[in-house]
Amino acid sequence: MLRLDGIEAGYGAKTVISGVSFALEPGQILAFLGHNGAGKTTTLKAAMGLLPLRAGQVSFDDQRIDRLSVADRVALGLRLLPEGRGIFPDLSVAENIEVVAARNAGANAMFSPDDVFKLFPVLEERRATRAGSMSGGQQQMLALSLAILGTPRCLMLDEPSIGLAPNLVERMFEQVRQVCKSHAMTAVLVEQNVAAALKIADRVAIMNNGQIVFDGSPDEARASNVWHYF
Amino acid sequence: MLALQLLCNGIVTGCALGVVAISFSFVYTTTKIFHVAHAGVYTLGGYIAWWLVKRGVPFVGAVALAVVVCVAMGALIQSQLYAQLERRRETHLVVLIASLGTLAVMQNVIAAVFTPNILRFDLPWASQVVHLGGNVRLTWAQMLTVVVSLAAFAGLLWFAHRTLLGKRIRAVASNPFLAEITRLEPRTAHLYVMMVASAVVCLPGVMVPLDFGLQPYNGVTPLLTATIAMIAGGVGSITGAFVMAVVIAELQNLSLLFIPGEWSIGITFFIFVIFMLFRPTGLFAAGR
Repeated sequence: MLRLDGIEAGYGAKTVISGVSFALEPGQILAFLGHNGAGKTTTLKAAMGLLPLRAGQVSFDDQRIDRLSVADRVALGLRLLPEGRGIFPDLSVAENIEVVAARNAGANAMFSPDDVFKLFPVLEERRATRAGSMSGGQQQMLALSLAILGTPRCLMLDEPSIGLAPNLVERMFEQVRQVCKSHAMTAVLVEQNVAAALKIADRVAIMNNGQIVFDGSPDEARASNVWHYF
Repeated sequence: MLALQLLCNGIVTGCALGVVAISFSFVYTTTKIFHVAHAGVYTLGGYIAWWLVKRGVPFVGAVALAVVVCVAMGALIQSQLYAQLERRRETHLVVLIASLGTLAVMQNVIAAVFTPNILRFDLPWASQVVHLGGNVRLTWAQMLTVVVSLAAFAGLLWFAHRTLLGKRIRAVASNPFLAEITRLEPRTAHLYVMMVASAVVCLPGVMVPLDFGLQPYNGVTPLLTATIAMIAGGVGSITGAFVMAVVIAELQNLSLLFIPGEWSIGITFFIFVIFMLFRPTGLFAAGR
């Protein structure tokens, strides 16, 4: 599915990540952990094509995609739910879904607007509401809906739990897990909430100072005291 | 009865200014470009229509062709100037200066091709006076300005809120980063915005000179007032920009009852200062 080989990226003169590699199987959920500024978001941006690679390769289904535009990567099924800004706040819920579906969800899409309304019935009730005026939890459901509209194959979630109540986080992560497992979808979950992330993950990678310092199963992570790597 | 006449004049001027304001606001809200060259597109529209009318083209046809030329001009400015600067990640200041430069070039080319002197439309119907009762007199050109402006206002609102392209443009304005990663193609959307805004601004660009005649540098004052209307109305609100343009025009006109006309631009800036001090987000600012 998604494969990073020794990628290096940064901003201006500063290199933020280097030698980052991992490969994910279909349906696998990777908890991608590390403290603030470790380079997790930079890694996601580089994989998405939002930042140019300085070294290394990104492949998707054994095809190199690091020369493709962001839009082309999205069309292949690589999706990003960005941290804290995954909705169009000035549009209504229905308009949010309509504009994204129009560009991404064709006739054979895995998730049509009807499917996401079924997945998150509260969004159906809030169709006419201005998205930016909804609660944090509802906004995050909308953000997740926008990220999966169409046919996503690898979903990269950047701190989706930020600002959410703990019980909401568990419910949302459970929903992410179900969606991934039922559709053989891969997920990369960047999280500060380590406990909640480990609960749904098949695999854990920990990043420190721009490099991956741990890659293993959640059990191994628990056994080896993950905090040691932060 | 002077007050009533001034009130009506204010509505005419305000509607025309309102259309300049909503089109400028549409561009600014989506692209964050302070598109000063919009004044050049406004002026160009008037000259193209004048030239076509002089060649015997019927007025409606002349307006339609002027709109086409303005759309092409808007597309040219966006694709050959703003998009190139954005690709180089230039700052807003650089883009503003480039826009000012474009305006200056357009004005000078118009002055060179036509004349720097005032030109008048040769359309007798336009200056015919209609008596509206209460001693209020308006020309057909002024009546047409109000009708066309209100239609343009309603049309732009409809476009932004009811069409898929309009919603996509609003999405790009609302969250450009998300638009990029959901394949809404912000750059293409910016091009469409510029084309639509240029088409819309062409209308007052033709209507206002029916009354006042054409001059190459006539676009600057309407644009200045329009930007103030946009800021006072609340950036991002089409209705706010239009309503505030009418309010400013009314205040300018009614102030003539008390103070000499040369102070009217001062009234505009007085309103601007009041808003900056007491309500910098504007009257119709979207709650965030």
